[in-house]
Amino acid sequence: MDIRAYIESGVIESYVLGMATAQEAAELEMLRMQHPELGEAIARFEQQLENAALLNAVNPPPAVREALFAKLESEFVTARPMTPVRTMTGLRFAAAAAILLLVISSALNVYFYSRFRDANEKFAALFTERNSLEANLNITHTRMLDMYGNMQLMGDPAMIKVSMTGTPGREQNLATVFWDSKTRDIYLLANKLPQAPSGKQYQLWALVDGKPVDAGMIGDCNGLCRLKNIPRAQAFAITLEREGGSPTPTMDQMYVLGKVG
Amino acid sequence: MLPWFNNHLSLITERLEAVKKYTENELVLLLKRQDRAAFTYLYDNYSGALHSIILNIVPDHDLASDVLQEVFIKIWKQIDTYDDGKGRLFTWILNIARNAAIDRVRSKSYQNNLQNRELTENVYDSAGATRTPTDHIGLRQWVHKLKDEYKMLVELSYFQGYTQDEIAKMLNMPLGTVKTRLRTALIQLRQIIKN
Repeated sequence: MDIRAYIESGVIESYVLGMATAQEAAELEMLRMQHPELGEAIARFEQQLENAALLNAVNPPPAVREALFAKLESEFVTARPMTPVRTMTGLRFAAAAAILLLVISSALNVYFYSRFRDANEKFAALFTERNSLEANLNITHTRMLDMYGNMQLMGDPAMIKVSMTGTPGREQNLATVFWDSKTRDIYLLANKLPQAPSGKQYQLWALVDGKPVDAGMIGDCNGLCRLKNIPRAQAFAITLEREGGSPTPTMDQMYVLGKVG
Repeated sequence: MLPWFNNHLSLITERLEAVKKYTENELVLLLKRQDRAAFTYLYDNYSGALHSIILNIVPDHDLASDVLQEVFIKIWKQIDTYDDGKGRLFTWILNIARNAAIDRVRSKSYQNNLQNRELTENVYDSAGATRTPTDHIGLRQWVHKLKDEYKMLVELSYFQGYTQDEIAKMLNMPLGTVKTRLRTALIQLRQIIKN
């Protein structure tokens, strides 16, 4: 079928204006499904007709409108005009709720901030305490290790123990020399010695063939103080000397004395 | 403050509703949901065009108004039968208006009334202006521009609603000729409408 010729035959106009016979209309509706251009041509004429009709409209008297709407009034579904009012009620409620929530939220902010500050201060204090405890624990731990080392030294069978007792008038004083018979290193344990006054320091002497030999200064040591290496000695003594030590002992400042063996 | 605002918002929404332009799909959908605003829009936009076609067929203004009201009630009640696959909404309502107008003219009461009038008018007014549809409004003004042989066919077919068979018999013309001439007339009519 020549669809172009069909489109231009006037059948479209006849169909759109409602003048086509039932048979013509059925034929057109069938062809329309197969030929999109036929549908487009129909739509074009419909649009032209509508435009022309709107341009040539003759307004009816207003009474017709009034009568018509009065007649249909009960049939309209009037849900739509209600919508904006309902929306506003919701909006107003939402605004009130938002303000209320803001006030509550602000109050809670103040409350929680003060709670936060308290907690933060407590935390800082606890943190400091923990740190100092940890430091103390480390010190104690180190000391314990040193003590353990000292005990090992003192328990060594090669160690010669020389107890130095208080000189006359200083009988309460006591110190012990541990002398390694293999390495000849000297370790000192200050059992009972008064605290050295400032500017003064205890000095250990080895008496070798009647002569005092400097065996080292006694500092602030933890348990055993490792002093000098002394190859030979018959006795040991401790005097209080000026800080840094003296070349010869000050005899009247002798605190303890002990013989080897 | 808030109630005042609410009222104004409702007023503004109503006014927006009034000037709102629907697409044809929206309009049909809302009409099928019995939406008042959509029906108002339909009436305000198309009542003039439908009134004009009704006046082409029913020249009496009061009767034409009556037919127009009837047409809109029909549209309202039958919108569910409208099938947008078959054509535009306007094509559908234009045909409702044309058919309603032709039915009115063919009705017994109308015919009786007309005869009565003719009797009186022949006495008092030989021109008979009130029953002759005017040639200068609506579709008729374009039909009026056609050649006489076409004009007659369109008059009988479109405005008076006779079938092609009936016209052939009435004018004592072969059916094929009626068909061909009518189609030619419509093609020319289309050209006139286009301009």
